[in-house]
Amino acid sequence: MSQRDDSDKGNSLLNPTRRQALAMAIIGAAGTLLPLGRASQSFAAMAAPPSGQVIIGLSQEPTVFNPHMPHIEVDDGIHWNVFDPLFGISPSGEFVPALATEVPTVANGGISADGLQWKVKLRSDAKWHDGRPFTAEDVKYTLELIVSPNFRSGRRAGHDLLRDITVVSPTEIHWRMEKSYAPYASILSSTFMVPKHILSVAADVNTAPFNNAPIGTGPFKWGTRVAGDHIQLKANPHYHGTQPQIDSVIFKYIPDLTVLYTQFKTGDIDVTAMQGITPDHYEEAKDLAGRTVVILPVATIESVTLNMERPQFKDPVVRQALYMAIDKKTIIDELYFGLVLPTETYMPQQSAYYNPNLPKQSFNIEAASKLLDDAGWKPGAGGIREKGGVRLSFTNSTTAGNQIREQAQQFIQQTWLAIGVEMKISNLPPAVMWGEYWVQSKFDSVIVGNNFLTGADPDTRDYFGSQSTNAKGGAGQNNSQYVNAKVDELLAQGAAIQDVAQRKAVYVQVQDLIRQDLPILPLFQYTYVRGYKSGLKGFTGNINLRIEPWNVNTWSWT
Amino acid sequence: MTTATHYLPASRRWAWLANPTLRRFMRHKLAVLGVVMITVLILACVFGPYLLHYNDLSIDIRNRFAPPFTGNHYLGTDALGRDTAARLLNAGRISLMVGFCAMLISIVIGTLIGVIAGYYRGWVGAGLMRFVDAFLSFPSVFLVLVLAAFTKPSPMMITLIIAVTSWMEISRIVEAEIRSLRERDFTLAARMIGASNRWIMFRELMPNAIGPIIVAATLTIANAILLEAYISFLGYGIQPPLPSWGNMLNAAQQYLGKAPWLAIIPGLAITLAVTSFNFIGDGLRDALDGRSDLK
Amino acid sequence: MPNYILNRLGQSAVVLVLVSLIGFMVLNLAPGGPMSQFALNPGMSQAELDRIAEQLGLKRPLLVQYIDWFSHLFVGDWGHSFRDGRPVLSVIAGHLPATLLLMGTSTLLSIVIGTWVGVLGAVRRYSVFDTLATVGAMVALSIPTFWFGLVAIFFFSLHLGWLPAGNMYTIGDQSLGDYAIHLVLPVLVLALVNVAIWSRYMRSATLDVIDQDFVRTARAKGVPYRRVLTHHVIRNALLPMITLAGLQIPTILGGALVTETVFTWPGMGRLFLDSLGYSDYPVIMGILMFSAVLVLLGNLLADLLIGVADPRVRLA
Repeated sequence: MSQRDDSDKGNSLLNPTRRQALAMAIIGAAGTLLPLGRASQSFAAMAAPPSGQVIIGLSQEPTVFNPHMPHIEVDDGIHWNVFDPLFGISPSGEFVPALATEVPTVANGGISADGLQWKVKLRSDAKWHDGRPFTAEDVKYTLELIVSPNFRSGRRAGHDLLRDITVVSPTEIHWRMEKSYAPYASILSSTFMVPKHILSVAADVNTAPFNNAPIGTGPFKWGTRVAGDHIQLKANPHYHGTQPQIDSVIFKYIPDLTVLYTQFKTGDIDVTAMQGITPDHYEEAKDLAGRTVVILPVATIESVTLNMERPQFKDPVVRQALYMAIDKKTIIDELYFGLVLPTETYMPQQSAYYNPNLPKQSFNIEAASKLLDDAGWKPGAGGIREKGGVRLSFTNSTTAGNQIREQAQQFIQQTWLAIGVEMKISNLPPAVMWGEYWVQSKFDSVIVGNNFLTGADPDTRDYFGSQSTNAKGGAGQNNSQYVNAKVDELLAQGAAIQDVAQRKAVYVQVQDLIRQDLPILPLFQYTYVRGYKSGLKGFTGNINLRIEPWNVNTWSWT
Repeated sequence: MTTATHYLPASRRWAWLANPTLRRFMRHKLAVLGVVMITVLILACVFGPYLLHYNDLSIDIRNRFAPPFTGNHYLGTDALGRDTAARLLNAGRISLMVGFCAMLISIVIGTLIGVIAGYYRGWVGAGLMRFVDAFLSFPSVFLVLVLAAFTKPSPMMITLIIAVTSWMEISRIVEAEIRSLRERDFTLAARMIGASNRWIMFRELMPNAIGPIIVAATLTIANAILLEAYISFLGYGIQPPLPSWGNMLNAAQQYLGKAPWLAIIPGLAITLAVTSFNFIGDGLRDALDGRSDLK
Repeated sequence: MPNYILNRLGQSAVVLVLVSLIGFMVLNLAPGGPMSQFALNPGMSQAELDRIAEQLGLKRPLLVQYIDWFSHLFVGDWGHSFRDGRPVLSVIAGHLPATLLLMGTSTLLSIVIGTWVGVLGAVRRYSVFDTLATVGAMVALSIPTFWFGLVAIFFFSLHLGWLPAGNMYTIGDQSLGDYAIHLVLPVLVLALVNVAIWSRYMRSATLDVIDQDFVRTARAKGVPYRRVLTHHVIRNALLPMITLAGLQIPTILGGALVTETVFTWPGMGRLFLDSLGYSDYPVIMGILMFSAVLVLLGNLLADLLIGVADPRVRLA
């Protein structure tokens, strides 16, 4: 099912003229007699006003309500309900129109053949929550705000390539891209439109009251917030897309995962979202009466990320041996109770660009030791291998607090010791870990979960491009300081092509190279264990987004 | 005469047994119990690990969450299959060590500041005490957490942080004691024979204030152990795989329903250690306070 | 009396300035200092970071920065949270009621129970009750609060299912009964340590008073023991308790932090921990300063109150 069902009529049906009312009555009566498929369903759905409440439990608190300021995943949950992008993305990876009437593509002329000229047509019936109409002016304002130097923008990538944004009419907007950038469609699919008439008159957008009481065009309006406890959203009766059937949505913040699970068990919350049910509770959870527990694949990959500038990691044999000495199977089966997916790459398996033919890792201590022996790494003091004055001893860090990850870390430490590698654990509080230590590549190795993609787009220049290393003067997330000229070339190629089949060929090669070079040792692909009360319909995961409550307007209680 | 005369032993070697302070201490049953408990605990932590079958670091994933008395795991195993008993005793080494060192450091700092503040009246004394008051205004837990969140965690760092937030009480006690002592005759006498300020402070006054300092010391260790447990419980203190009673509780929190012994046992150990020090401190306070003989 | 008040006010003012100095030092100790929120954003070049530092006035001499910061504190501008941009004071104010509820209820409970236990123990010195109470108090002081909370949750919530496992209320049902049942466990856990402290102090304070001549006189005059206790002994014994109450505020705040962690109580302690995790320095500093000011005010109030109540103090 697509994200928003825009085949329905807009809000004129709720305030009909007498003629319309009569027409509705006749059609409605007919509708009960003749099954009209989806249309009749939506009629029935729209006839009843939204009612009831759903409580979604989160283990992190949403605090950033302006979707363009730096924020974390859990804030997306609020954004998807209060705002709309021009077009969204379905679980199967297709774009679905939201505020735009159709998704701009080369085929329908929305994007020029060279990828540089964009023409987007917008809906005429979308309204802001305060009643004012949504127009192309708002789109222009939003796109310009994101790149404005005075605005604390979360992400400028892609938007900084826009030039000559022109409002042709209230329902049409054109712009030109500085260069063809295929990932831009994906970026746009999670770019929410914010109101010009409110933000442009604010003294300072960074501290405007809007940021604490946002107004969007989405299916839910901002209700109330009790800081540190919960946020309530109310259904928007004038929504242009699929009408929400539930009237009140509560995002409840419960910082402790055990308490979150207990409250799910006792029914105090209806849905567990971020970070869900811990793997060790899964066995019990799936048998709970009146509860449905699902396992949703996510695009986040857990890996041991190495700092390629460290002398210990310069030798590819060392990296291969290290990878071979990780008992992935036990980690997945025992520590994670078999709930995560083994993987050999940074690309999620559900992606259209996934390369299934990568060499499979197998856990083999003897082979790994032999590899190191043959390459000249001989055991030295304390049984730790060394060669040419370099000892295979280094630190590994992660943020304290994720129990199972810490367990995996200690387990890897033990198996690496068996091949003569000394890994010292040095976990840090988040404030220290994600600061300079990470961003300026001051670490030796870390265990981290990353989503390397941008939405559904496979472009990973931010992570693997040589110009994306901050420590070397670049800008990006290539904190492992990985450099491979061939990969740079392929990534640049891939970003410029629009055709999916052609792009796949390129990205398959990139995955081969990354698997060979091993700047990251892929451990597994994450899954989220989520639970909801069995009476709730409509709950679906979306691997292309980071959160579950992305389609709350399609949820209903039976 | 004091009661000591009744017990005057024949030889000089055992004369110290007759010390009135010691006698008073021994009469305090709880204090003696405390000494016994802590001695047993220390011996267990120092020598125990050598007597167990498993060490505290070996991971055995097949045997996770074994309840107590499974095979040779007297206290069961934890989430990674490591022997709980081994981890408990090794954790004891670290937690007790951190507590002890933190106490030493804070005693040194606290006594220094307390003696100087108590001796020099006027601006120096008042100023220093206001400084101490300012520090005391921050709940120590908040201060400790802020410092721990900004620094790279290690046993040394934790010890320093705890020490830095524990010296204030001691300096208060010392300052009050010194202030009363400085009016006594022996101080006057020392000044008359021309002793320097430094001599008076550290050779005359401070030794006489040892009583309250020792009592404060035992209470400081108790508090330091609790603080370390708390920061490690929150994840900011001793990092795994090094065990500490606090971080064992952190790891056990998630498995409260499945393996409650993992949470109950370290907590009992902490309570035992801290109770012993509290008992001892209480006994010392009564023993060093000469008035308790008169009833 | 006026002398006494002036004296205390003066001392408090000095301490306040010192507190702000310590706070300022801690603020600049943080990795990255006030610039940290930008350092976490990759893609910022060094030139841009310098420009922002200049804009925020971080290139000025430390003394100037300190005076600026302190004067801002005075007028109520405590900065804005890095996370949601709201003024720090309103963020703290939003979380304060929950903490006050917890602290207030448990302090009340511990004073009542602690006084009763302490006085009774003093009156029946060395009886079974007294010995049990003393030993019990010392053990209670030694139990780590957070561990006790965990065990209590395990027992009363997971095992027996009598009480909720955390939070302040259930959404949808915010009746008085709902709040009450959520309060039970956290208040009990927090009160444990406080009852121990109060009862021990009350015991020794009562002992001090009971041995005094005026009590003996009252009894000799034939006043019933009960009345001697309530009218003479307890009233006088409660006097040092006022000072103690003031001195206890930092401990209670710290205990509230611990309890809020274990019971996911949406108070200031919870806010503090979350802000630590997100490196929200303005809020962290705000809470530090706020609690210090609270403590100072509490002590000042206690000293003034005792000056009113106890003539010995103000004439000394």
